[in-house]
Amino acid sequence: MATFNAVIGSLFGLAVLPFRAMNPWLAMIVISVLTGLLMLAVFRWTSNQEGIHRAKEAIKAHLLELRLYKDSMAQQMRSQGRILAANGRYILHALRPMLVMIVPVMLILIQLNLWFGSRPLAPGETAILKVKLAAGRSPLASDISVDAPAGIIVETLPLRIEEEREIDWRLRAAAPGVYDLTLKAGSDSFTKSVRVGGSLLAPISNVRPGPSFLDQVFNPGEKPLPRALAVESVEVDHPERRLPLLGLRLHWLIAYFALSIVFGFALKGVFKVEI
Amino acid sequence: MNRRDFIKAGAGAATLLALGPRADAVMRTAGRKATPRKVLILGFDGMDPKMTARWMSEGKLPAFKRLAAQGGFSPLGTSIPPQSPVAWSNFIAGTNPGGHGIFDFIHRDPKTYFPTFSASATEGSTKTIRLGNIVFPIKSGSVRNLRQGKAFWQVLEEHDVPATVFKIPANYPPVDSRQRTFSGMGTPDIVGTYGTLNYYTTESKLVNEDIGGATVHQVYVIGNRVDAKLPGPINSFKPDRPAAEIDFKIYLDPSNAVARISIQGQDFLLREKEWSGWKRVSFPLIPTQSVGGICMFYLKEIHPEVKLYVSPINVDPARPALPVSTPTSYGEDLEKKFGPFFTKGLPADTSALENDILNEEEFLQQDGFVLEESRTMLDYELGRFEAGLLFYYISSTDQRQHMFWRLFDEKHPAYDPALAKAFGGTIESTYRQADEILDRALGRIDKDTIVLVMSDHGFNPYYRSFNLNTWLRANGYLKLQNEFKEEDLDWAFAGTNWMKTRAYGVGLNGLYINEKGRESEGIVTTGPDKDNLVREIARKLEEFRDPKTGEKVLARAYVAKDVYTGAYVSSAPDIILGFNRGYRISFKSPLGRVPKDILEDNKAKWSGDHMGAAEIMPGIVLANRPVAAERPALYDVTATIMDVFDIEKPKEMIGSSLFKKGEPG
Repeated sequence: MATFNAVIGSLFGLAVLPFRAMNPWLAMIVISVLTGLLMLAVFRWTSNQEGIHRAKEAIKAHLLELRLYKDSMAQQMRSQGRILAANGRYILHALRPMLVMIVPVMLILIQLNLWFGSRPLAPGETAILKVKLAAGRSPLASDISVDAPAGIIVETLPLRIEEEREIDWRLRAAAPGVYDLTLKAGSDSFTKSVRVGGSLLAPISNVRPGPSFLDQVFNPGEKPLPRALAVESVEVDHPERRLPLLGLRLHWLIAYFALSIVFGFALKGVFKVEI
Repeated sequence: MNRRDFIKAGAGAATLLALGPRADAVMRTAGRKATPRKVLILGFDGMDPKMTARWMSEGKLPAFKRLAAQGGFSPLGTSIPPQSPVAWSNFIAGTNPGGHGIFDFIHRDPKTYFPTFSASATEGSTKTIRLGNIVFPIKSGSVRNLRQGKAFWQVLEEHDVPATVFKIPANYPPVDSRQRTFSGMGTPDIVGTYGTLNYYTTESKLVNEDIGGATVHQVYVIGNRVDAKLPGPINSFKPDRPAAEIDFKIYLDPSNAVARISIQGQDFLLREKEWSGWKRVSFPLIPTQSVGGICMFYLKEIHPEVKLYVSPINVDPARPALPVSTPTSYGEDLEKKFGPFFTKGLPADTSALENDILNEEEFLQQDGFVLEESRTMLDYELGRFEAGLLFYYISSTDQRQHMFWRLFDEKHPAYDPALAKAFGGTIESTYRQADEILDRALGRIDKDTIVLVMSDHGFNPYYRSFNLNTWLRANGYLKLQNEFKEEDLDWAFAGTNWMKTRAYGVGLNGLYINEKGRESEGIVTTGPDKDNLVREIARKLEEFRDPKTGEKVLARAYVAKDVYTGAYVSSAPDIILGFNRGYRISFKSPLGRVPKDILEDNKAKWSGDHMGAAEIMPGIVLANRPVAAERPALYDVTATIMDVFDIEKPKEMIGSSLFKKGEPG
């Protein structure tokens, strides 16, 4: 999974590379266009285009019936039923491309979250470092400690929460940079990345996952922790990033869906795709 | 109805207001038209002329001294009584209380004798519809500013003179204006009170209900975790109107002095004796509606006892549930620039200090945040002050004199030598901080800007408490239903026999005659009967001496119609108490209690005050232009503003310019 994540991450990084120093909206627009095209292509080649066309035409025809035969209750009911049936056929025809797309779209969303979900800590800001231990391990019996590089200050003693199998520290960002915190557990050690400051658009990993497959899928920003460590995850919650638009601060997911739908519909005629 | 109900009644419809349309949502700030002159007014609440003069002469207030040498320094005649809402209203409206209708912090409803807030009134929705377990408002509630008369910035607006008025007291809700204004003293927290803190502790703790403003929650540690609830505003959508609540958890380390607070998806770690900074909270009312606010957490202790202080929940300036600024965008813009900031009228939590929830050091830390925030925002406003008028208010000078007088004055009954060693210099250092603020401001303005520094009143020690209603009872003017009862500590005159009561006291300085036709159970006839009674009581009050010290308790007992002019004199108390130095109304009397003793030593931390006679309680005024007026008063500063901008003074304004005619610049 780690290799797969690395490959996908590199591809995504490549797509974003020319826009990293620019307004994040640019990268978002480019990705939305590219994924809009990808979705159109998948839709074009995996759906029954003729079937979709017929279903849409049938819906239109029955809608017309509704307007023409307003005085006939029986006809109205029949037309309503046929619209429903045509809708059902339309959804069935769209199901296959949706099933085909669900995995790539999920991967795209996970990558987008890595790039647009969080922003670096600003100097002076605080964040919590959370180490979640594997099942059956007690934080009270753990000897995990943190070594912070210059640029990051560990402000508190460890807070050990038995019921959550968790050990927390408060970090304060002191100077811009990309840092690795080193966590030591006996003779073992592992790291967690923290990003402070900087204007470049960059992937920000909040969670370094443990060996669980699903955790690795959803947290592709860092290599998984070795199973021998008995650590389920290490987390530093960077602040949420929002995309500014006319005084609003949009969540990336809203921006992405709005843009990809707009581009999808704008380009469907060009590529002759029936949606 | 109890005291808590009274406080809630003050703004109980807060939750409804959050849902009402924002009338000024599209309103924009008035134009920033260039003006030939600019006026900067710094309002330091409660700065006393004697202390200012003393520390100026000792070289401790160099900026004040410089300003005084440039123009002038004078005591500034205050209001009758010298309470902040009254005094600042004198300045805002340029008149005396008879012209603006604010006579005290607390007025009363003559139909019920029930104490009411003087400055604003909140009304819930009058039309509702109940669907199942939810009550829907058809019409939103409203909150009204009860101050009458036109505010000076409204007059300036009519003449195209731009103004920014930051946190001036007695302007909640801010009156309609396109000028930039942010409400100050009188702005409630989102619960609708003047500030109710929440304190979570594993030890048993009581609060002084007379001081109020605190809710103590007994909590338990189970498995190194505390489960607690943060109470919010009344949920008017529910038929029984319960308080909305938010669950939160405190996770404690078994031995390290660190804890994590988890509230509404926010996790933050605090060490012992550490403040959290502002945290946003949102109280759900029904699935589609919630009320947001901001509060600070302070982890006072983790081991052996858990002690967590949560500040009163301020209105969030980014999403104001109550009207706090004009236009609404002004508060939102400030929030964008600075993040969340204090919006509650008087931000320093004096109740926390009074109730031993915060100690002196912790109180000063919190008020330090207030002062630092004030400094920063003043810098910002000065940076964009290009025309017209900028008024900027600082509260710390007042609040710290209230709370630290006892450690500065060895004669005070609450004087503590050990604490005095650490905090005896607080008042002086606060004056010095005011000087630093002035110095920074003077450094940022051009030579053509007229600078005025003012305070609303001075300060006095508060050694002895006077129970006005007990004095009235002892002199036969107030009767209890049970004449043999030693005292009546029920609230709002619960045990008073109105059929035999001729006078009663409500508020901090007010005395009312139980007048036939005005009060619901009035017995004193309007006319000579009432007039003679007023004169008789005023004379007796002025003659009354403290048996312990031999001193007069009141320097003056003002008869309202002798000292007030204007359209609202008839709403005034009949007599206004002007206390002698060292005396003040007790905490019990203002809300209608009749305690046993007429006078008591004041051992509270609230140890300095300003309820004295206006003659002994002036504020200050300094200007960078010669002050020609011999005995300037608050409303003269208003007249000065009109004079500087060449605006004809409205007829309701009674003052005269501080400057010589034709020489404002």
